[in-house]
Amino acid sequence: MKRFLRATLAAGAIAMAAFASHTAEAQDKGKVFYMVPTLLDEFQTASVEAITNFMKEVGYTVEAKNADNKTDLQQSQMNDVIALKPKAIILAAVDFNALVPSIEKARAAGIPVMIFDRQIKTTKSDFTSVAGTVEIGYVAADQIQGLLKTKNGSVKGKVLQVLGDPADPYTLEIQQGFEEKMKAFPDVKIISLPAMQWEASNAGTIVSDQLVANPDIDLIFVHAAHLAVAAVASLEAKGKKPGEVMLVSSNGAPVGLDLIRKGWENVEVEQPLFAQAAALAMFADKVINKQEIKPGKYDVLGLESEVTIESWGANIKIPGAAINKGNVDDTKFWGNLKPPATPIKPVE
Amino acid sequence: MSARQRAIIEFMLDNLVWLLLIVVLAAFSIGIPSYFQIGIFTNIIEDSTYVGVMAIGLAIVIIAGNMDLSVESVAGLTAMVTGILFCNGGIGLGYTMAPVEWLAIPVSLLLAIAVGGIIGFSNGLLVVKLRMNAFIVTLASYIWVRGLVLALSGGRSAQGMVPELRIIGIPIDPILLPPSALIAIVSFIGFSFLMRRTPFGRHITMIGGNPIATFRAGIKTDRLILVSFILAGAVAGIAGWLLAIRTSGATANLGVGMLFKAFAAVVIGGVSLKGGIGQLPGVYAGVLLLSAIQTAINLMGLPAHYTQLILGALVLAAMLIDTLKLQIRQRLA
Repeated sequence: MKRFLRATLAAGAIAMAAFASHTAEAQDKGKVFYMVPTLLDEFQTASVEAITNFMKEVGYTVEAKNADNKTDLQQSQMNDVIALKPKAIILAAVDFNALVPSIEKARAAGIPVMIFDRQIKTTKSDFTSVAGTVEIGYVAADQIQGLLKTKNGSVKGKVLQVLGDPADPYTLEIQQGFEEKMKAFPDVKIISLPAMQWEASNAGTIVSDQLVANPDIDLIFVHAAHLAVAAVASLEAKGKKPGEVMLVSSNGAPVGLDLIRKGWENVEVEQPLFAQAAALAMFADKVINKQEIKPGKYDVLGLESEVTIESWGANIKIPGAAINKGNVDDTKFWGNLKPPATPIKPVE
Repeated sequence: MSARQRAIIEFMLDNLVWLLLIVVLAAFSIGIPSYFQIGIFTNIIEDSTYVGVMAIGLAIVIIAGNMDLSVESVAGLTAMVTGILFCNGGIGLGYTMAPVEWLAIPVSLLLAIAVGGIIGFSNGLLVVKLRMNAFIVTLASYIWVRGLVLALSGGRSAQGMVPELRIIGIPIDPILLPPSALIAIVSFIGFSFLMRRTPFGRHITMIGGNPIATFRAGIKTDRLILVSFILAGAVAGIAGWLLAIRTSGATANLGVGMLFKAFAAVVIGGVSLKGGIGQLPGVYAGVLLLSAIQTAINLMGLPAHYTQLILGALVLAAMLIDTLKLQIRQRLA
């Protein structure tokens, strides 16, 4: 009897150990580092949460490293992380070019590098998930053309463009895309000024000054929703009513959506944060196991997205959406802070 | 040289920054289209509000011979606290003091002063009791307080200040300035009086000039240094409160970069970084000067980098003028 009991217990222990090891393997495929450029910005903070949760759903543990918007710090963090030999690195670069040597070093060490949100075209990476900053500028330009036409009868008028920090390529690329599309309309005068360090009160000051110097401004285009808040405060202080001066912003943060609901903002060009993060999780297994990623159309959280094979590697582009009063409550927008209910499934 | 001539030269040296401000405003008014108008001048005063208030506390600590790098983050923290409690969008909780709604003004202001004062107290305590270097102590506060802002907000923003507070940032019709700008002006007048006409101010200046001699004269130097740090924190708290009202909300990076502007204003305003020298009206002129230049850059559409170039050059010029002033004073003596 004793022998039977011992044998049963031993068999049970072995079975449990086997099950535990199998479960652990299925649940934890290893660690991935997410190099986030800053946490002083709603989009970036929400991206940490989204990437951590979506990657967890496909079996990876994510640890985020905040670079505080400092290129040198992010480079040093990359060096440290490479030494830890993670399964992969997800990089949202502070500076698009300065991180190239770090990407090359990681890949040389056999660590795949996935690029998030801030596209790097000057070196090879293993996967890129972006909405496209230049494309955000295009979408904004299309929307602004429509708003000016509705107000003035044709695409003409005066637009104040408030950029983010002029040292940040992110804002410069939005400007590039926007101005490229607006070139076709010489009757639109664009005044462009940067809000240093993406600081809201700097944007407020610019709006205050320009409203005095150019009282005929038709529309203000700010490159981030938190700058729109300060712009609205300045409009209000100058006695303007909601809608009197049109306002367009980008990134789709919750505060931007609130401003649309209150009637101050006309359009918010969304960076599809949830879909961008979900795409990383969908393709993580393929990237980490060095499997081929096939070009073509993919459904990412209901958004038709396209994978192309570019000179810098596989690239998925997820379309940015224009949010206005008609669709502002749609839960697919990350600014409504309702993550998708269905878990992410890896691409077979 | 007659006593009258000497007095005139002394007056000129003491108020050099005001003269510079007048010259700069005149030059911009002539050279930049649409600069010369009431709206622009009120903008300059309004934009000087929070950096100006922040610079008051910073100047007091520097005159006392110390340093406070934490004022920017303290302002960021009190802005966030005000935003979270009194905004109704984003992470704002939208508290009101109904039925006596105006109570939101004193309550939020006192809260901001208390939060700032507590951080100032902790800075001062470490400097005075543990004899730690003020630069290091306040540098640490600069970092951890900003971290606290991030932790409190989770990186998210508050937006839509309740109307009873927002009114502080809206210009009043006849004077075209918001109450926030008047608060800054009154603060400068009040603290200038405190520094010039009271034993506290004179003792603070004496400590900055020669702490050992002041101590030997029976003045409680440690207590006064502690008070200077508490004041700097509390005043930075007011600056943050004004900042939240001005932007009708708070973001985790609100106020970033203002320490540099406040420092520049203090130095341009004639406060010696060695301590013991400086007057608050000069600091206000320094803030106005920076704001006038910033506005000119905005109107001219110059790339923002010019602001930093000009600011750097101004600080350097201020240091040179300071050295020159000392030499002239030595000759006059």
